[in-house]
Amino acid sequence: MAATWVRALVALVAFVVVLVVGINVVGAIDLTKDPNTGVPVGFNTIVTILAIGLIVALVVYLATEYAQTRRFDSITSQFDTRTIVLIPIAIAINIILGQTVSAALKIPVYLDSIGTILVGVLAGPIAGAVTGGLANLIWTYILPAPFQSPYAAPFFIVAVEIGLLAGIFGRLGFFRSRPDTPPARLAIGAAVVALIVAIIGIYGFLPFYTNAETNVFQLLFFAQPAEGVPAPAPVFVILGWLVALLLIGAVVGLIALLAIRRDLGAAYVFVAGLVCGIVSALISFPISSVVFGGVTGSGTDLLVAAFQKAGDDLGTAVLKQGLLSDPIDKTVTYFVVFAILGALSRRFIARFPQGESAIGLAEA
Amino acid sequence: MSADDAAFLASLAPPGRSPYHRLNPLTKAVLASVESLGAFLIGGYLGPIAILALVVASAAVAGIAGRLVRISLLLTLPIAISVVLVSVFTRAGTHILFSIGPFDATSEGVDFAGQTLVRLLAISTSIGLFGLTTDPRSFVLDLERRGLSSRFAFVALATLEAVPAMVERAGVIQAAQRARGLDTEGSVRARLRGVLPLVGPVILSSLTEVEERSLALEVRAFGRPGRRHLLWRIPDSSSQLALRAALLFLLLVAIISRLAGIFPSLP
Repeated sequence: MAATWVRALVALVAFVVVLVVGINVVGAIDLTKDPNTGVPVGFNTIVTILAIGLIVALVVYLATEYAQTRRFDSITSQFDTRTIVLIPIAIAINIILGQTVSAALKIPVYLDSIGTILVGVLAGPIAGAVTGGLANLIWTYILPAPFQSPYAAPFFIVAVEIGLLAGIFGRLGFFRSRPDTPPARLAIGAAVVALIVAIIGIYGFLPFYTNAETNVFQLLFFAQPAEGVPAPAPVFVILGWLVALLLIGAVVGLIALLAIRRDLGAAYVFVAGLVCGIVSALISFPISSVVFGGVTGSGTDLLVAAFQKAGDDLGTAVLKQGLLSDPIDKTVTYFVVFAILGALSRRFIARFPQGESAIGLAEA
Repeated sequence: MSADDAAFLASLAPPGRSPYHRLNPLTKAVLASVESLGAFLIGGYLGPIAILALVVASAAVAGIAGRLVRISLLLTLPIAISVVLVSVFTRAGTHILFSIGPFDATSEGVDFAGQTLVRLLAISTSIGLFGLTTDPRSFVLDLERRGLSSRFAFVALATLEAVPAMVERAGVIQAAQRARGLDTEGSVRARLRGVLPLVGPVILSSLTEVEERSLALEVRAFGRPGRRHLLWRIPDSSSQLALRAALLFLLLVAIISRLAGIFPSLP
């Protein structure tokens, strides 16, 4: 176990070194926005440095592992026959649910990554990342006409991130069911989740949604808009109240779930889904606004239109839309995966490479 | 080689209907990727329209121009409606063409929507042409001969089978649940209530099948180390190799000059 931590630490150090060196070499990053798409000009540079850092970290990790064991077990063990058989089925679940749900319901939930997350949790981060990437490439290049989508491949990198994160959360035990948690610990868990949601809401969301015309959050949380600031358009007052209700509703729903099921696992899944949604929104907004003009053909386009009408440029509008809809989508997806894991037999799960640590059989 | 094997190989590389069909699958894949990435990298109107014309001309050579245009219009339509509505009416701009209620249509919005539309059409036709002229199995097996891990080849081919199989399974389960009294055609509420008894069994039964399939593969030596040797090859030629290298080189030049900010901005 100690050897694993050494590898992780070495990789982390390499990643930080690349970041520091990269930022110093590049110098000041140009954050002015491209007039056409509204994505900051320096975004390419930031993404390139992050990508190089991640690749270097992975290479360093593998080199350390090879030096320690003369093998690449951490990768090969994630691709046993069982996982290889699971991946096509997971991709099929992604594609079929993704197509029917987003086409049929027209709500900001896509549910097109259930399979990716399932593989990530059961087999590990690399297997999850590979599943996500392959799913989008196969969706565009391999599948024949009725299922094919030419617009999946550009979002390839987002799918990789979703699988990677799911694998990490799985390894850390976020998907473990924790039945019959004592009420005191449930209360602490609920309070911690409410605190996390409040912190994300106040520091992560408020700054994004407070400008001259969309300052509903000032209205909501600080009673009155400041002197000289015009009152927000009515549509944003409604939207602001909806978002506030949604956040409060989600927390209340989670507390109710904790109280009824007495399973603290729900709190972990909620937080993990929220994090995954925010990271996905941050990665996908430049792709969406540069390649697709910011729309997806689903109901969320109305939000983009509303933010853009209120004076945001396209990039900001898409980011705001993504930060609203992606956390909802990913949290719902994480709960679906949690439910599937609960319904599968433990014997079945335990045979996958990461199954035991994912649902906590290792300690049982 | 049995008669079945011979028939399978013949089905992988049928005597192509046109010179375009007969191109090596990898050449067609590189063409599709470079065309769609190119439309995105060049930007503006001229580049994507030129690529669109090139793709439709290739489709005409393959004899499927009408079908290709129909399919890609159908695929692009929902997203195109969104692009037009969102960009034309809500994009900030100074040149107002006309107004509907609080929404002003700006010429900047029309311009942006036009650029996005030609780009999306170029992407969907180039990918669509690849899909219509290439048997996915021959593409994957060709990649495997070029060194793709046989496990990834299995994943790609198995997905090809798994998607229609899952649709079929969903149909069977739906029929079974209806026989037990599940309402799948009533009001929206009734149909929403029918989603869970449908989706749950489809996912769980598909996952349970993993067990049988992996055992079946293991007894057929799926996990053995070493490479598979394929007894056949999809025709390829040195001129196609040169074409692929040239296309990828052009793409690389475009990406680097774009990143360096020296790429000319075309109308």
